[in-house]
Amino acid sequence: MSAVNEVRDSYDVAVVGAGPAGLTAATACAAAGLATVLFDEQPAPGGQIYRAITQTPVQRASILGNDYWYGARLVRDFQASRAQYVPGATVWSLSREREIGVSTGGAARLTQAKRVIIATGALERPFPIPGWTLPGVMTAGAGQILLKSGAMVPQGRTLLAGCGPLLWLLAWQYLNAGVKIDAILDTTARASRSAAWPHAPAFLFSPYFRKGLRLMLSVRRRTKVIAGVTGLRAEGNSRLQQVAYRTADGAEIRLPADTLLLHQGVVPNVNLAMSVGIEHRWDDDQLCWVPVVDGYGGTSVDGVAIAGDGAGIAGAWAAEERGKLAALAAIRALKPDTRQDILPDEANIRLALAKVERGRLFLDRYYQPAASFRIPRGDTIVCRCEEVTAQQIIDTVALGCTGPNQMKSFLRCGMGPCQGRLCGLTVTELMAQTRGVPPAEIGHYRLRPPVKPITLGELAALPKDEAAIKAVVRG
Amino acid sequence: MAREFDIAVIGGGLVGAAIAWGLGKIGQRVAVLDEGDIAFRASRGNFALVWVQSKGLGMPEYAGWTVRSSEAWGGFADELKEQTGLDICHQRPGGFHLALSEAELANRESILKRLHNQPAMQRYEWEIMDRARVQRMLPQVGPEVVGGSYCPLDGHVNSPRLFRALHAGMQQLGVTYLPNHPVEQITYRDRQFVMHTPAGEVRSGKLVLAAGNGNARLGPMVGLNVPVRPQRGQIVVTEKAAPFLNYPVVTVRQTDEGGVMLGDSLEETGFDPTVGTGVISTIAERAVRMFPVLARLNVVRTWAALRVMTQDGFPIYDQSATCPGAFVATCHSGVTLAANHALVLAPLIAGGSLPPETFEVFSARRFDVPAAA
Repeated sequence: MSAVNEVRDSYDVAVVGAGPAGLTAATACAAAGLATVLFDEQPAPGGQIYRAITQTPVQRASILGNDYWYGARLVRDFQASRAQYVPGATVWSLSREREIGVSTGGAARLTQAKRVIIATGALERPFPIPGWTLPGVMTAGAGQILLKSGAMVPQGRTLLAGCGPLLWLLAWQYLNAGVKIDAILDTTARASRSAAWPHAPAFLFSPYFRKGLRLMLSVRRRTKVIAGVTGLRAEGNSRLQQVAYRTADGAEIRLPADTLLLHQGVVPNVNLAMSVGIEHRWDDDQLCWVPVVDGYGGTSVDGVAIAGDGAGIAGAWAAEERGKLAALAAIRALKPDTRQDILPDEANIRLALAKVERGRLFLDRYYQPAASFRIPRGDTIVCRCEEVTAQQIIDTVALGCTGPNQMKSFLRCGMGPCQGRLCGLTVTELMAQTRGVPPAEIGHYRLRPPVKPITLGELAALPKDEAAIKAVVRG
Repeated sequence: MAREFDIAVIGGGLVGAAIAWGLGKIGQRVAVLDEGDIAFRASRGNFALVWVQSKGLGMPEYAGWTVRSSEAWGGFADELKEQTGLDICHQRPGGFHLALSEAELANRESILKRLHNQPAMQRYEWEIMDRARVQRMLPQVGPEVVGGSYCPLDGHVNSPRLFRALHAGMQQLGVTYLPNHPVEQITYRDRQFVMHTPAGEVRSGKLVLAAGNGNARLGPMVGLNVPVRPQRGQIVVTEKAAPFLNYPVVTVRQTDEGGVMLGDSLEETGFDPTVGTGVISTIAERAVRMFPVLARLNVVRTWAALRVMTQDGFPIYDQSATCPGAFVATCHSGVTLAANHALVLAPLIAGGSLPPETFEVFSARRFDVPAAA
């Protein structure tokens, strides 16, 4: 473990993020003798999926499940490698020349890498329903972080709502931990289910099929699942008191609730990649921005690759393999004479990747959230930081805003501390729907460093050259 | 079929929008042709000062033009608010330029003395203050601040809201805003201008070029020479903080929303709006030396934008001799001069000519003088 003052001036490879992709990428690069550093925001390795695996207070292994504990092997291999590990590190900038701005413990510094592997993973898709900003409403991902890191679980009346594998996994883990879940409000859309069926045969051979099925059955046995939920709203004065929804028969139902956990899938965390100018495309199945990458995660920016869910959602097992592929490309570029037995075995990796990616389209389509849960209307908040509503954004389209950047300057939407992470996708889809054009034509916020906040004092302490000083100091 | 207007304004940034708003207000049928969501748009990257002190060394008429806009700004802001309901938070408490060394302060004083010693310079109040006087007005200044210059005419606004208010206002006045209409070619025939864009043709009787750095390319199409170049400026913004700064400083200002904006830089980098770590670090360092309380605030955004710069740094207002009815307006102070553009320039353009006694000095013909050997 290293502090920021032990960060060197330059590396062969810098990896950002210590989830499965980052861990395998750093391990493989270090094994080939490349000077490798791994920067991670968390205090311990594992990423989101294996968060806190080396230090979780959740002692009973059965609560988090075998798929969680599987991650320990990746962490062990990484810890045994010669890669430098910098935890608690925020990478707040990356230039096209691969200069990295990184902060830890309140101090920032710049370092240079010949290759950068971005493995910043996924974040939860926004779920902008009426009342989603009320205290008592949080995302399933946030709930899972509290469970893994702090063994904290919700008290009182608890509802889960939404769709996607993580929602079911969290329900299963909560039930294992003895949490009483009052109900799961399943928003999986009928249209999505029908669109997925043609891809079901492929999914039958996915390792996720049996696991997923078993997990869902286990949850259904132990708690009430309400299907076909629409019109979801969180209600309450100053905090969550009840959740309203409709089902197929149209009647509105209200359930009292102290905690509502929302989830409708994960999407690539694109902020760092977009800030360096990596080309992205709109994915019509996953309904999000996805970086354009080659078979090794290579991007439109020379020397910068993306591995894991940040390059398109495919899950933890795929991330592990994609990390190795990004490492392979880096090793081949920087140390072409590396012995074959040290290089990751590409054929094996591709085989494993094909196996875990089989039937992915089924999951993408099946859990594609309905438009009504992605594209809000009226007074529903879109930008939590600046409290901008859907209607305000729609109104800027009438003023002639064709995309998020002009809109942002009109409304401050996306200008807050989250830097557009929580509203970006909603804004793109909302403006696309309002203008009647595809999301690709709308685009995304133009992102610039710092992609994560750093203090002005940290920024001020960085080295400056003559030209920079001359550009600022004048009479 | 091509759409026809009295006047077409090319460029929907602050300069174009202010002129279009002013034209709409006096009943002209106006179209604003603009680019799309991604553009070199200085109007989304400016520092939002309505600034007077230090402007006009080498062209006192520019100082006078700036003072005139500063005086008109209060009424302009009120009018926009009344029309659109948007408060653009214009404040005019006076502003500072702070010095971090005796040398900087002496340099500052010398520049301002030379400015105000110019013949034909309009008289207005300004003063050099020592540290003690600065500290009385800006209690949070750091120990390295030795003094500064103060001018009571200086102020600032909420610039993004100004931008929105102009767009909302011009829409209410019936101005047709045409985004995604980048102008590829302009032709002039039979006293009519035809703008050719990928989205179709637009025709008008008069034409205003307000396309910022794009004017350099568009000008020659209608007999106008517009020698402008991009000059990069970078800005840093902090998270919102409790109010601590009652006066704008030329490189540090607290917005009405609480965030602190820190500027700025001058770099000759062509059309490259990339943020550079060294420059923003220098900006941050000087700001922290001026106001040490800033050090603990989080930086939430930085950006770079491209100023529209002439050789001498002064604006160009011009009319075409060969294509009557074609005008150009270009400057790097689209906020400060917005009131003039809306209230003075627009009516003159509608009337068909810029009076030489005021505008000859701003013509790009000033650059035609052969350089001395």
